[in-house]
Amino acid sequence: MSLSRDIYTQLEAIVGAENISDKEYILAGNRNRTPEYPFEYHTADAIIMPASTEQVRDIILICNQNDICFVTTVSGASADAYPNRGGTLLIDLKRMNQIIEINTEDCYAVIEPGVRHVQLYPELRQQGFSYAIAAVGPGGSVLSNFTSTAGENHNMYGASRANRYLLGMEYVTPEGEILRTGSLQTGSGWFCPDGPGPSIRGLLRGFYGNHGQMGVITKAAIAILPCRGPRDFTLEGHTPNHKVYQNSDSTQVYLFNCPDLDAACEAILRMGEVEIAASVTKFFYLTLAVMMTDSANAFHELWPRIRRELPIPLVVYLAPESTEELAYEEKLLFEIAEETGLVRAASDLENWFRCHMDFFMVVGMLQRVLRLGGGWMPIKLGADSVTHMFEVGKSVPEFIYKYTENGTIFDAPDNFQIAPMEYGHFAYIELLFMYDRTNPEVGKGVAEFRQASRDTDIAHHFHAETPGCLNAVTQQLGPLYMNYHLWLRKLREAFDPRNLANPILKE
Amino acid sequence: MFLPQNTQEVCDIVRQAASQGKALVPCSSKEPHLHEGSFNPSAEIISFEKMNQILKISRHDRYARVEAGVTFGDLLPALADQGLRATHPFLPRAGKSVVASMLEREAVLVPKYQYDYTDPLLTTEVVYGTGELFRTGSAAGPAPYEESAADMVNPWGPGSVDFARFLCGAQGTMGLVTWATLKAEVAPADSVLTFIESDDLASLVHLASKLLFHRIPDDCLILNNVNFAAAFAKDPSEEETLRTKAAPWTLLCRISGYARSPEERIKIYTGYLRDECAKEGLTFLYSPRNLDGFGSRADQRIKDCDRNEVYWKLRRGALRDILFLAPPSKTAELTAALSELLAAHPAEDLGLTLQPQVQGRAFRVEADLYCTEEAKEKTCLLADAAEAALFAHGALFDRPYTTALSQLVFGADPIAAAAQKKLKDVFDPQGIFNPGKLCF
Repeated sequence: MSLSRDIYTQLEAIVGAENISDKEYILAGNRNRTPEYPFEYHTADAIIMPASTEQVRDIILICNQNDICFVTTVSGASADAYPNRGGTLLIDLKRMNQIIEINTEDCYAVIEPGVRHVQLYPELRQQGFSYAIAAVGPGGSVLSNFTSTAGENHNMYGASRANRYLLGMEYVTPEGEILRTGSLQTGSGWFCPDGPGPSIRGLLRGFYGNHGQMGVITKAAIAILPCRGPRDFTLEGHTPNHKVYQNSDSTQVYLFNCPDLDAACEAILRMGEVEIAASVTKFFYLTLAVMMTDSANAFHELWPRIRRELPIPLVVYLAPESTEELAYEEKLLFEIAEETGLVRAASDLENWFRCHMDFFMVVGMLQRVLRLGGGWMPIKLGADSVTHMFEVGKSVPEFIYKYTENGTIFDAPDNFQIAPMEYGHFAYIELLFMYDRTNPEVGKGVAEFRQASRDTDIAHHFHAETPGCLNAVTQQLGPLYMNYHLWLRKLREAFDPRNLANPILKE
Repeated sequence: MFLPQNTQEVCDIVRQAASQGKALVPCSSKEPHLHEGSFNPSAEIISFEKMNQILKISRHDRYARVEAGVTFGDLLPALADQGLRATHPFLPRAGKSVVASMLEREAVLVPKYQYDYTDPLLTTEVVYGTGELFRTGSAAGPAPYEESAADMVNPWGPGSVDFARFLCGAQGTMGLVTWATLKAEVAPADSVLTFIESDDLASLVHLASKLLFHRIPDDCLILNNVNFAAAFAKDPSEEETLRTKAAPWTLLCRISGYARSPEERIKIYTGYLRDECAKEGLTFLYSPRNLDGFGSRADQRIKDCDRNEVYWKLRRGALRDILFLAPPSKTAELTAALSELLAAHPAEDLGLTLQPQVQGRAFRVEADLYCTEEAKEKTCLLADAAEAALFAHGALFDRPYTTALSQLVFGADPIAAAAQKKLKDVFDPQGIFNPGKLCF
């Protein structure tokens, strides 16, 4: 199915001929980039690039008049940012890339969806500010990580997830109305996510984002945070062999190995109780080895050592306000480490963090995780207390060995991350596995592995994941989550009665 | 009045009301009720006073789960017994429902623990207008509540919707919350309460915002001399003395040390406080300048709720308050504008409390117009006019309790109000919850 000439002409009149195309070679370059994922993918009927909220509104009104589905995309890393059926218009927001305001007094920045981390972060850092920067690499859309995807980051322990910092928003509803949320609703500026009465903000972002199913967010204010660490840092060399040092005598990174998961859990909670450290994470050991190396050969050389010496790595980043406080935090950290049996990693491994401080900023070496066969996938992705997330982690051996032993996934059974938030009030778990995406047989095993993980969690009554937007998985899990899928469907029907905004679910 | 004892009874009451087209209004706190949120002559009251169990306190993971009828008078001692504290409002009424306080967006005293405006609220159990039960966040599943292995503390979701956010600020119009989980914090091992006095509100607002941006103080709020006296006086006779001796504005900041080396933390953080004060040309004291030895008394009073027979804000008989939210850059300016608008009200009867929230990114301003019962109507008219004028200046009234204010704020953006009505229709399709409130 392709757009009629008449509709194409109407859309062209909104954005100009240079910002819309239905040429095959253009559309081919804007298809989903992870074809190994088990979804049904389609080529868009056309791709359009609006430059303003009003243009987005006008496009959506035409979609409504002509029953055309629409999907929005920016960086295109998510499979849900591409058409899943014929008759779909792909709205690419990359032209809307302005940092509209940085307000250092009221501590927020107003951005458009096309603003990338590599664009916003340096602007803020040089003024002594930061934000909940998702660990997705420099090219990710800031707004998308705050509103539409998960947005997990490496600094959640001393701060929180991106959704906590989402403030006023301007968005176009699936029916083509421009809606302003939070304090914008009463003309009071961008600073607050909630206006009078029940907050419309709740519709736009829960644990996950809704992947464009409730409309198109065209501007959002996000809270900016104090920069944990110095404003300045030193860069040496060129990627992939670059090094980044912080110019500060009041920051430090420590890398420990934990004797077991209980020890890691206790250490995190005890640090949280005394509110020390800027970042603490029980990190992935496989991912760590991949990030520490710049070739497959180097990885395979290092990996046996990491398995032996760092099966349960705990990364602790101290970034207080003074050298005096650093000494205080170090004293408490080592006290807790001794109580819980943590062992300092070898100095060369610990030093890798100290000369790659971009790990805590814009993570520049993430693409390395694709090296081992190209296929990787995070699962579980739920959050609850630190204790509960470690319980979930402890259950991984119950189902994983079958798949590491039969070669479905890379043999790294403990490759999960537990990232605490808000000084240990919650934590998030991510089980990351790698596989050969070129082998179709492996694809079947991967699906089975994912289901085995889910079945184990359900059998144990764990909250290890939560359903997402309205899709097939949500339909499957909804009955176990208070019929969430039915409430979500009612909301969709109320706000998108024609079912046009990224309708992933097949009816 | 309905007095359910458990969630099943709440579901039954709601289903019956829906089938008969009867309206319900929830009420969780003990009297007196300061606002009109739970007042609705066209609805029957569903009181949660018998659902008053503290369901769980976890010292290890720092949270508590309480039924809707649990009050601050119940919860604070129970938390203290386990070395914990709640992030509660400044001197809350002992009879105030903890759940209602969070849902009503009351200001909290320790804003460094607030990452979002909904904090410290975590998960909830709610009965919607259809009588259906729902649980938010990680309380949603996948296991039934009784069998869940989770701690049920993740506030977001389930899924891509923040269901708890629809309940906050809703004045009971979206659903009836039967229990809620809230964050608890480790009680400091030691702390010092400091007083920073000034006649320039703007400098105190700026200082409080900066201090919280770096998470330096625990308790943090600004009082004018009227509310300083109202909050801390032993009795009415002392109130005038305190009002006269207190500075026009006082910023109260608590610096805390926790279980390990508390004195060391207090020393370091007191140094930060000193440095930040100096940048504003201010100094901190351990007692107000003209009230020698008063610090320890205030310190003790702040650590608990108000257990006086007459709540501290009602000692003079009646009260009409004005509640708004502002970003730091506009807080002092809007407060000054409000004071001018209320010039006809006696200055000695105008209490002002400014509470920084969400790590200093906003201030909740509370203007308390103290009056006699006889003068209340006139005072309310003055307050209504002041609210309208302040709204035009850009103040955010996110807690509109009067009809006039509701009409004003929801009338400002008909598209947003229509979206809120769509939400209402999803969760309360027959409109049985607190009809006539807000824009419903």
